[in-house]
Amino acid sequence: MSSKTKTATIGSSSSKKFGMNSKMKSTLIGWSFVMIAVIMICTFYFYPMVQALILSFQSGTGTNLEFVGLDNYKRLLTDSTFLTAVKNTFIYLIVQVPVMIILALFLSVLLNDRTLKWKGLYRTAMFLPAVTSLVAYSVIFKYLFANDGLVNTMLLKFSLVPDAINWLADPFWAKVTIILAITWRWTGYNMIFYLSALQNVDQSIYEAAKMDGASAFQQFFKITIPMLKPIILFTSITSTIGTLQLFDEVMNITKGGPGNATTSISQYIYNLSFKYTPDFGYAATVSYFIVILIVIFSVIQFKVAGDRND
Amino acid sequence: MKKMMMLLMASVLFLAACSGSDSADGGGGSEQDSNKVTIWAWDPNFNIAALNMAKEMYEKENPDVEIEIVENAQADIVQKLNTGLSSGTSKGLPSIVLIEDYRAQSFLQAYPDAFHDMSDSFNVDDFAEYKIAPTSFDGKQYGLPFDSGVTGLYVRTDYLEEAGYTLEDLQGIDWNEYIEIGKKVKEATGKDMITLDPNDLGLIRLMIQTAGAWYMEEDGVTPALAGNEALKQAFEAYKGMMDADIVKPNSDWSQFVANFNSGDVASVPTGNWITPSVKAEASQSGKWAVAPIPKLSVEGAVNASNLGGSSWYVLNGDSSEAAADFLGKTFGSNADLYQQLVTEIGAIGTYKPASGGEAYEKADEFFGGQKIISDFAGWTEEIQGLNYGMHTYAIEDIMIVEMQNYLNGKSIDDVLNDAQAQAEAQLK
Repeated sequence: MSSKTKTATIGSSSSKKFGMNSKMKSTLIGWSFVMIAVIMICTFYFYPMVQALILSFQSGTGTNLEFVGLDNYKRLLTDSTFLTAVKNTFIYLIVQVPVMIILALFLSVLLNDRTLKWKGLYRTAMFLPAVTSLVAYSVIFKYLFANDGLVNTMLLKFSLVPDAINWLADPFWAKVTIILAITWRWTGYNMIFYLSALQNVDQSIYEAAKMDGASAFQQFFKITIPMLKPIILFTSITSTIGTLQLFDEVMNITKGGPGNATTSISQYIYNLSFKYTPDFGYAATVSYFIVILIVIFSVIQFKVAGDRND
Repeated sequence: MKKMMMLLMASVLFLAACSGSDSADGGGGSEQDSNKVTIWAWDPNFNIAALNMAKEMYEKENPDVEIEIVENAQADIVQKLNTGLSSGTSKGLPSIVLIEDYRAQSFLQAYPDAFHDMSDSFNVDDFAEYKIAPTSFDGKQYGLPFDSGVTGLYVRTDYLEEAGYTLEDLQGIDWNEYIEIGKKVKEATGKDMITLDPNDLGLIRLMIQTAGAWYMEEDGVTPALAGNEALKQAFEAYKGMMDADIVKPNSDWSQFVANFNSGDVASVPTGNWITPSVKAEASQSGKWAVAPIPKLSVEGAVNASNLGGSSWYVLNGDSSEAAADFLGKTFGSNADLYQQLVTEIGAIGTYKPASGGEAYEKADEFFGGQKIISDFAGWTEEIQGLNYGMHTYAIEDIMIVEMQNYLNGKSIDDVLNDAQAQAEAQLK
């Protein structure tokens, strides 16, 4: 009853003149609340997206752009630098994301142990990399992995390797360095998601499993993993998107080198727009390629992991 | 309903007010009245210091003009210029900007209406010829040439002596002789001859300019990689150094500088702008000298080259007249300023009338009493002029990859042909 009086007050007398029923009124009120957000999102998200799409059909230097139809997209397929960048990004994706997810899962289960002392300290230590600036940590990694850097010095002093590893100038080791860096930076971040999810898992499930004689491994695979499935899906999608957009680390640690052995797609977009004579049209085309990739991957991940859970 | 309409109207007004004040704020910096000149440049010890001297001189005679100098990293300037100019507005952009010669054509051609024609603001003939091609476009002079990127071979004379050489042995040599000397030096002292960053082919650019060759044809847009004799020899010399094991790798500027400041390398072939960094290690005073840069053994090659160097450009806008006047009266014609630049910051300009003064004849104790400024000025006159074209860095990225392939055993002809094919596909 009280709700009706409220609506009546808001609607006031004018509602009769326009002959509005209360349903329409509440719809309108609802819309007016979201209107600001909708206008903002349209102006600052969708409008630039559409503009970028239009831009991706143009080519030329700087402001001398002209429409070239699908030429940019054809050029993509034969552009060896671009293909190398895609290949590199996929290597990062295929190696780094699973390693990081498994590591984060493992760590979160360890840290969720109720008998563990100094839990807060360990959690903070693990999460701390995620709050450091991307550029700052990249620069530090660059120096750690320099030819006469700390990592090489340690490996040599402990006689683990016969010669110094050329971390940044060897195509293989440069990729390893980038993967190590991203893993260090993001594992703790993903671990926090798992930890919070684990704390919502009812302990009695584990107790019941123990009573039935389940080993620690069985508990992990039969209880923990299924319970965390939605979170694992979420983290793998965000990590995949993050890796596809990889830029700061590559830019600061190796500059894409040696050659273009570590160039990522995002870095290529940067080079096209700011390092070479700018071709914003083609750069927009490459950006749209990332969009398409992300959509495809997210759909795949939903299909693989999502449906049975809903 | 009325109230709701009011609410909507109010929110629209609010939004409009917000955006209105935003643009007013954003425009604050760009309200260029015609007597305020903003300048962007990089490197506080060199370009900014030079600007401050020029500003001081100019403001004495033109007190009504306000000059603001803003320091930005070069990469940031390039990025801001590109975003600003491509948005089609001069708001937020400076009136004067320093642009590296390798990039100049890219800006002049990509944003043809953005730059102020400087042809009438100074006498082009007063400047070193090799600076003119990169700074002009379509018959008009847009850039006012500034520092010289003239190169020299900085060498440790003490290491040379241990290997049985003197500075005399380095006069007029080619790169193959350089490698031979490098081997001897390494044998005698255990020190590498040179330090290189595999991601920076500055050495290749420097080598091919001794032969007057470039990545591009004369027109500045057609790649000239396949069958480029100078480039081929430069690649062979680069590989020769690697094979001779006389190279200490570095991966960025600070490691580069550290490698010669620590005494780990015996020579540094590079632009004269490295002088302050070499002298930064005062304990090595007297142990360095500067020899002419080695050349390629291509016909017509000279023992002089250029690496880097930049010029001043005026952007079209309310204050472009004042900006052109400032440049014209300082860097464009003031010989005293150039003398002062040499004595106080060691910056070698390309303004010919100023290159004979006493500041140029001063002996430098750090370099064992050598008159390095006068030597550099002499070499500047020999540099072969080139149109760098607009794609230097795009091609260089292709060359960096192909250089790796070449070092791993691919044949030189395949390397250059593949690079040519890639460049043609990329730069259409």
